[in-house]
Amino acid sequence: MKRRLAVGLAVALGVLTAGVGVATSYGAKTATTTLTMWSYDNQDPGLEPVLKQLSKQFEQSHPGVKINLVFKDFNSLVGTVPRALASGSGPDVTEGNQGYQTDAQLVKAKLILPLDKYIKKYHWDRLYSQSTWGMFRWTPDGKSFGKGPIWGLAQTGQNVVVFYNKAKLRSLGFDPDTMPTTFAGFDKLLGQLRAKLPKSQPVIEEGNKEGYGFIHLFGGIWGAYEKPASVRNWIYHVPGSRYDTPGTIKALAKLQSWAKSGYFNSDYNAVGYDVSAGLFAKGKGVFWIGGDWDSTIIKTGLGKDVGAMASPPGPRGVWSSIGGLSGPWHISSKTKYADLGAEWLNYVITSTQAKKLMFGQQQLPADGSAKAPANNPYLTAVYKAFKTVADDNGLLLYTDWASPSMYTTLQNQYQQLLAGRTSAAGMAKAVQTDWDKFDKTLR
Amino acid sequence: MAERQSAGAGLLRRLRPRRRDEPAPGDPRNIGWLYVLPGLAFYVLFTLAPLVHTVYYSLFSWDGLTAKTYVGLSNYSSAFVDSALRSSFVHSAVLIAFYAVIPVILGLLLTAALTRHPVRGFRFFRTALFLPQLIAGVVIAQAWTWIYDDNGPLNWALREVGLGSLARPWLGDFSWALPAIGTIGTWVTYGLCMVLFVSGVQKIPSTLYDAARVDGAGAVREFLAVTLPGLRGEVLVALVLTTINALRSFDIVYNTAAGGPGGTTLVPSMYMYQNAFLYNKVGYAAAVATILAVTIFVLAAIVLRVGDRSERA
Repeated sequence: MKRRLAVGLAVALGVLTAGVGVATSYGAKTATTTLTMWSYDNQDPGLEPVLKQLSKQFEQSHPGVKINLVFKDFNSLVGTVPRALASGSGPDVTEGNQGYQTDAQLVKAKLILPLDKYIKKYHWDRLYSQSTWGMFRWTPDGKSFGKGPIWGLAQTGQNVVVFYNKAKLRSLGFDPDTMPTTFAGFDKLLGQLRAKLPKSQPVIEEGNKEGYGFIHLFGGIWGAYEKPASVRNWIYHVPGSRYDTPGTIKALAKLQSWAKSGYFNSDYNAVGYDVSAGLFAKGKGVFWIGGDWDSTIIKTGLGKDVGAMASPPGPRGVWSSIGGLSGPWHISSKTKYADLGAEWLNYVITSTQAKKLMFGQQQLPADGSAKAPANNPYLTAVYKAFKTVADDNGLLLYTDWASPSMYTTLQNQYQQLLAGRTSAAGMAKAVQTDWDKFDKTLR
Repeated sequence: MAERQSAGAGLLRRLRPRRRDEPAPGDPRNIGWLYVLPGLAFYVLFTLAPLVHTVYYSLFSWDGLTAKTYVGLSNYSSAFVDSALRSSFVHSAVLIAFYAVIPVILGLLLTAALTRHPVRGFRFFRTALFLPQLIAGVVIAQAWTWIYDDNGPLNWALREVGLGSLARPWLGDFSWALPAIGTIGTWVTYGLCMVLFVSGVQKIPSTLYDAARVDGAGAVREFLAVTLPGLRGEVLVALVLTTINALRSFDIVYNTAAGGPGGTTLVPSMYMYQNAFLYNKVGYAAAVATILAVTIFVLAAIVLRVGDRSERA
């Protein structure tokens, strides 16, 4: 018995020492620096392949550097990233989310670095227009949005686009090459389509399971009735801004009337956003109104039959829609490799290779100097939709940035509005109440 | 302790009257603490300490990252007037019906049927019906999301038998999302209830059944007079377990309707999650968690108390 124990002990010790030996010699040979990046840009497939390939190239040009890309879905990333960064063992570089729920927290808790130093070094100031930078600016106390130092940098432009099925329009007797250029014309077209389509088929296919489908879709209507600058000021908590304005209430009533008239698929609350894009690509609905980051899904299914346009403007003539830039990349204040992280960001955002790969995945580089490849009419149309709105200062940003609980409030309110359980004025009041409650904590 | 030298001495000691400071055999001894130490350490470390911690956090206004401010009981006073929290508890009450009451009734009916008419392959059914208990909640939620899908098997079946007008996107429907989630809970828990009851029935003396039959009791009478009273303990255990399950349910709700549509499936645990991880209100989330824990304690105590009283009666 005793002897067996001794033998066992010796074996165990041997294994242990051998293990230690291997570990040290291995460690000495390959002194790798590993950078961990967190991203949620994997929308089937979104930017995922672009980031993967660019990181591989980055590793090749930087021997001894390993890029560890971690993809998470949006909700689980923003739900865990503050604590992961605070723990010190979180990502070196990560996406956050503009607005009070995530970025304000990261700034206030000093978990991310201001980027001024790198903006100078890499001339990033040339990337976006002056007003666009607002979405990355925060005062260091995390209270004022839209002013103060810059804390983030984004890879792509995002815009909610009206995608349409050309073949279906043609079969119903409409010309897909002369689409309406005013909101009134678009609204009228929807009504005509409803009358011609069989009841079981929706005019607009939509997925609102996650709750952002209608936050996005509403932008086109909102911009037709309300000034884009007022919408942005409200998100930035500029004093005196309000949501319950006559314009917004009219726009909400219009959205409700679309639901009442049966323009949407009846199961919109049970269908996911990307899933609905997939269903549209398979021929459901004449329109899908959603993020241009899903344009690959749509292109794959519809091929030549798909068209894309910006949501047509209201009487004011300003092209506007929900949109901005993609999730902001941040550098952790606890990373040992901040400079290397900035270099990686510069590579995946501004390099020629990066822009080429992004266009290749139907993603729109945020870098204003990018040019869409010729001989790709679909991509040109999607890019044009973004440029039209961006150049018209019509990007309405994302409404949920306005407070930490705004996302849930909007999710609830849109679902109730569309089901006819609340009125346009009722919803406007509920949303403004949420805003007021949070606004008090900022004063 | 010189007597310990031989085995014979032990026998002598047993015959000798016990000294007063010597504990009776079977009396608790301090060594007992050593035996429970590993379990106790785990319990203190992973259950008790977090519980105390949560209560402590609930007294602060805290975003989870920066310095926290002591606010006393103000989180509780805001919880008291929070209509979202109140409606989440109402939704929980609905879920208790589906997670606890219906499964217990179903389990009892199944047990009654099985004890009167034993079926072949009973062991197989017992295992099969218990199986949902062993599957992770996320997997169950995924499977049922598919079943409830607008183009899923449930709606397909309804349409096939000519009830197409009843077909709907169940989890996206204001009135049906909560019952739909409840049904998942029923499916998960009724097997557990049945297994508990069937094993309980086996310890009811068969003489009682014989007596009931001799007295001419029918199936219903026999069930009410013999089976149900004999299963009181098991019914109580099942009710407590399933009620706790209903109140804490998070995984299935989060992975199906996630509180929607329009907040109709918001449950306290979901609301706690939203406050802690989305709204950056960790202190308030801790208060919600504490209220939920107290509610569970109180409900479990009531169930056990009522059961106790009816036993004495």
